Amino acid sequence: MSESTTAESNSSVLWVAKPLITAARQFGKSLLRPSTIVYPFERLEDPKFRGAVRIAPGKPIGVGQVWDNYRGVHALNIETCISCNLCAFSCPDLCIDMVTVPGGDPKHPKKCPQIDYGKCSYCGFCSDACPEGCLSMTTRYELSVSKRSDMIYSPQRLEEVFKAKLPMSPIRVERPKNEDAILLDPPLCIGCNACARDCPTKCITMVDLPKPVAKAGEKLPKRIWKEPVVNDSDCVRCGTCISVCPKECLFWGTHR
Amino acid sequence: MAPLSLYGVSNSLVSTLLLHLAAVLPAPLSTLLSNGDLILLLSVLVFCGTLLGASLLNTILLIWFERKMLGRFMDRRGAMHVGYAGLLQNFADGLKLFRKHTFRPQDADPLGFFSAPTAYMVASIVMFGILPVSTGWSAGTLPLSLLLALVVFSFAPLFIFLGAWSSANKYSLIGGMRSAAQMIAYEVPILLAVVAVVLLSGSFDLTTIVNEQRNYWFWGPLFLALIVFVAGMLAEMERIPFDLPEAEAELVEGWNTEFGGMLFAFFMLADYARALVGSYLIVLLFLGGWTLPSWVPAPLTNFPLAGIFWFQVKTYLVFGVFIWIRASLPRVRTDQLLRVGWMRMIPLSLLSIVLAALVVLAKCLPVFGCLPSMGS
Repeated sequence: MSESTTAESNSSVLWVAKPLITAARQFGKSLLRPSTIVYPFERLEDPKFRGAVRIAPGKPIGVGQVWDNYRGVHALNIETCISCNLCAFSCPDLCIDMVTVPGGDPKHPKKCPQIDYGKCSYCGFCSDACPEGCLSMTTRYELSVSKRSDMIYSPQRLEEVFKAKLPMSPIRVERPKNEDAILLDPPLCIGCNACARDCPTKCITMVDLPKPVAKAGEKLPKRIWKEPVVNDSDCVRCGTCISVCPKECLFWGTHR
Repeated sequence: MAPLSLYGVSNSLVSTLLLHLAAVLPAPLSTLLSNGDLILLLSVLVFCGTLLGASLLNTILLIWFERKMLGRFMDRRGAMHVGYAGLLQNFADGLKLFRKHTFRPQDADPLGFFSAPTAYMVASIVMFGILPVSTGWSAGTLPLSLLLALVVFSFAPLFIFLGAWSSANKYSLIGGMRSAAQMIAYEVPILLAVVAVVLLSGSFDLTTIVNEQRNYWFWGPLFLALIVFVAGMLAEMERIPFDLPEAEAELVEGWNTEFGGMLFAFFMLADYARALVGSYLIVLLFLGGWTLPSWVPAPLTNFPLAGIFWFQVKTYLVFGVFIWIRASLPRVRTDQLLRVGWMRMIPLSLLSIVLAALVVLAKCLPVFGCLPSMGS
């Protein structure tokens, strides 16, 4: 009985003393400089924090850096954009709209992505899908705005981000070689040139077909005697040709 | 030069102002203004207003001090953005609470609900008039000021229970019950610990008690009484680890669950006023009040307002210990609290009374020296 009483009193002294000592040690440690960074006035990128904060074991943060594959605001290079629509197509949040930018020819205006960061989930699928590498994600993380409409970044704003030459997130994975190709169902084709006209990479050429000679009693189909040929090495598999084809004669398939 | 005192300053200020005004103004007004009773009334009013304002300002600064220091304990900075290092943050919070809608639950008793915060506030800030901050800086010298202070200090929890009862909420009621049980359990050891101090100083007057500590401060011989008193004060202030009456995890917000806006601000401010007053009491009874030991060099004790300065320094150090305890210890259970209160604290305080009696019998102690009143 007496033993248990002493043990209890010992533990109750420890119960008070131990946390007090721990707290005092913590207080002494953070008295001069607590870990908190007064964020809008100080930032991790400041040189004085170089090596002060570690976000991963053995990896101190450097100037102007966040984590290597941080996915922040997109950067868009309008010059190299081919308006293929793949970014908007791949976006799971439907936050990318293709809007007209100046510089295209009047009949077929150039369209570049406009991103609504209110919806964006920063998954990076768009920059993965971009065949030309003109849409990529930077490490810029400051997106707070005071108006909802400011969350929508027009292509011009995205290009400003690109011109700021921020570190890019190297998240682009090498896609497995796409075996799919655009195939043609020749009897249905009317040679209308829509696919070649709208192909963003101009990899479709219309080749002449020999006009067959009509046999007696047979009526030749009314069409232009031309046929699209797709250059598979230039094709980005955007599917624009399939969607513009009026006779639905183009389809996905593999060469045998 | 006569020693600076708050009443003397306000009296000379008011009389100079009124006499100058009377010299300028025409006859009927000038005789009215130079009336001695009016000067007395106005100087008392100025004195009270200054004391109240300074005390409330000090209370709000105490909240700032707690926020900053608690932040350091948690490796963060506390309030940073309003004013220098967040000094004005509490004023902003107070303004926000002022602007809020004051509402009353449907079943709450209006009289009790609205009068409890006000009465609690008043009962808490009356203490500032009783406790002497330095020589000449209290409302008056009362022969039983310590007794009066303790009575007023233990009177305030009544209003907690009033507010808890009248808000017609079970959490408030449980919190109020716990508060009452806790106050009663810790009132007794506090009073017994104070008896030890009274034995040593031979007086109930706080000024005399402070003056009796000129050879040594009482915390040395009465360390046991100090521990009992500090623990009792923690329970009286309802601070962690004795914050059972407002245990957030169990009781929402305890007895002030239903109070919002201005009423909550009253309770909050009064709580911190009580914390400040508790620290004042510890400094007055055990840490020598506004005096410093005789070996301290004269320039540190001779500058104007030195008494108030050192008193505040000591107060903030004592409150810093309270914050340290708050940052370290978890909340105790009700049964633990009451058992410690009745079964440990009371025997300890009785023991400290015996020790104090022995000290008085011995007159002089080997390390500390002699008691001044014993004719040494």
